[in-house]
Amino acid sequence: MSADVVAFTIESLRQMNFDVDGADGGTVFGPAGVDLDSLAVAELALRVEDAYGVKFGEEDMERLAIMTLGEFAADVASRSTSLDGAVK
Amino acid sequence: MTERARQRAVITGIGLLTPLGADAAGFFDAVCAGRSGLRRPADSHPVAGILDAAGFAPDVDPATVLPPAEARRVDRFVVLAMAAADAALADAGVTVGQDADPARTAVVLANAFGGLGMFEAEALARESSGHTAVSPYLLAGMLPNMATARIAIKHGVRGYSSTISTACASGAYAVAEALRLVRDGLADVVVCGGAEAPLLPTAATTFRNSRALAGGWADPAEASRPFDRRRNGFVLGEGAGALVVERAEHAAARGRPAYAQVAGWGVATDAYHPTAPRADGSGAATAMRLALADAGLAPADVGYVNAHGTGTKRGDAAEALAIRSVFGAHTPAVSSVKGVTGHLLAAAGAVEAAATALALRHGVLPPTHNLDDPDPDCDLDHVRKAPREAAAGVALSNSFAFGGHNVSLALAHPGGPLWT
Repeated sequence: MSADVVAFTIESLRQMNFDVDGADGGTVFGPAGVDLDSLAVAELALRVEDAYGVKFGEEDMERLAIMTLGEFAADVASRSTSLDGAVK
Repeated sequence: MTERARQRAVITGIGLLTPLGADAAGFFDAVCAGRSGLRRPADSHPVAGILDAAGFAPDVDPATVLPPAEARRVDRFVVLAMAAADAALADAGVTVGQDADPARTAVVLANAFGGLGMFEAEALARESSGHTAVSPYLLAGMLPNMATARIAIKHGVRGYSSTISTACASGAYAVAEALRLVRDGLADVVVCGGAEAPLLPTAATTFRNSRALAGGWADPAEASRPFDRRRNGFVLGEGAGALVVERAEHAAARGRPAYAQVAGWGVATDAYHPTAPRADGSGAATAMRLALADAGLAPADVGYVNAHGTGTKRGDAAEALAIRSVFGAHTPAVSSVKGVTGHLLAAAGAVEAAATALALRHGVLPPTHNLDDPDPDCDLDHVRKAPREAAAGVALSNSFAFGGHNVSLALAHPGGPLWT
């Protein structure tokens, strides 16, 4: 599932006009990578919540902002498993 | 307490995006030639079927004024404002940080609607797709102050900034605020003006339903006819106007020429009705008198009045009455550019201050388009049919608004004595 989330995230960021050429699981969301600001993290979270039925709290946002795409995908996958698709 | 010298202010840069195009020189040529910028909306446009005529500003790719990720989610009024501000600063030869102290540079960009278009789209998305469809970027893209804020961010402006919202008078209020900032020694350079993007289904419909708009004209270019006997409303338009208002000595030290001096301002409030003007034009007249007094000028000094002149029955008649009450029987030359631009709401006052400055600079007064048969209720020395060559030393630019806000700006030829 993680690979799927990585691909979904990259496509989402592309739609959000971020430069994701060459991005992969090792790319960071922070300034050294895609350089998402707080609103972009919020929008990405919304898109992923919608697609995978997971839920991010306000307290998750800062943590997400410094993850790599791969770490983010694993995080989404674990949430998705623990929720067992109950939320959507 | 030390008394500071009253500083003089000049216009050194103009940036316009109007139904007449995206450059100031072309704008003034079109106004003088009576080339209308008003069109019937294309069938694909959201206001098709709502508006018979409208003034469309040039398309601006948001990515040309903002970074790609930012460009995605801002309202059109922000994009228009930023493009106009970029153009005005370039015209003035100002790079903030090089040619002007960031802490002594200011932005005052007005608008009335804010990002109503973006809000409407997000509201519809929420209705059809639920709350996750609402963008986190909405506020950063639609708040009325976001034009001011994003201009400041882009150009590194660290001094005063604010947003004025007095409906159709907003743009001229912004110029007045710029004059005050410069005069009081609080800024050397002020990017001021207004932007509006009201060509939206709900906004256009409420104007139509309130019977404010011109109607029944087969040719959209004939629909806007200020002071004409057959006028029957205004034509809605979108656009942005930005001026660089600069401390005169600051401009002189940079060796920059000025379009005009901003010599005075006057504001008066009708306290009468949410949308209708006082029929006797007394609020408008007071604004003009105050502008002249502020500039230390007399009515006889004024050679030209750039009228608010929207093309509504009551508004034009009240303004004509106001002009006559200020100037007596021998009124200065009067014209309104709205015959070719339509009414750009919060952008109008800034665009028209620019038109007035250009008229002073060139010694050419633009005509009122479609003024074929002047209404006896609007008995004035109209400039019509053709531009008039006249070396007007001083001009007033009027803007009046829903809410009863009346503002008049006194501009003076840049080569004349520097009125304070």
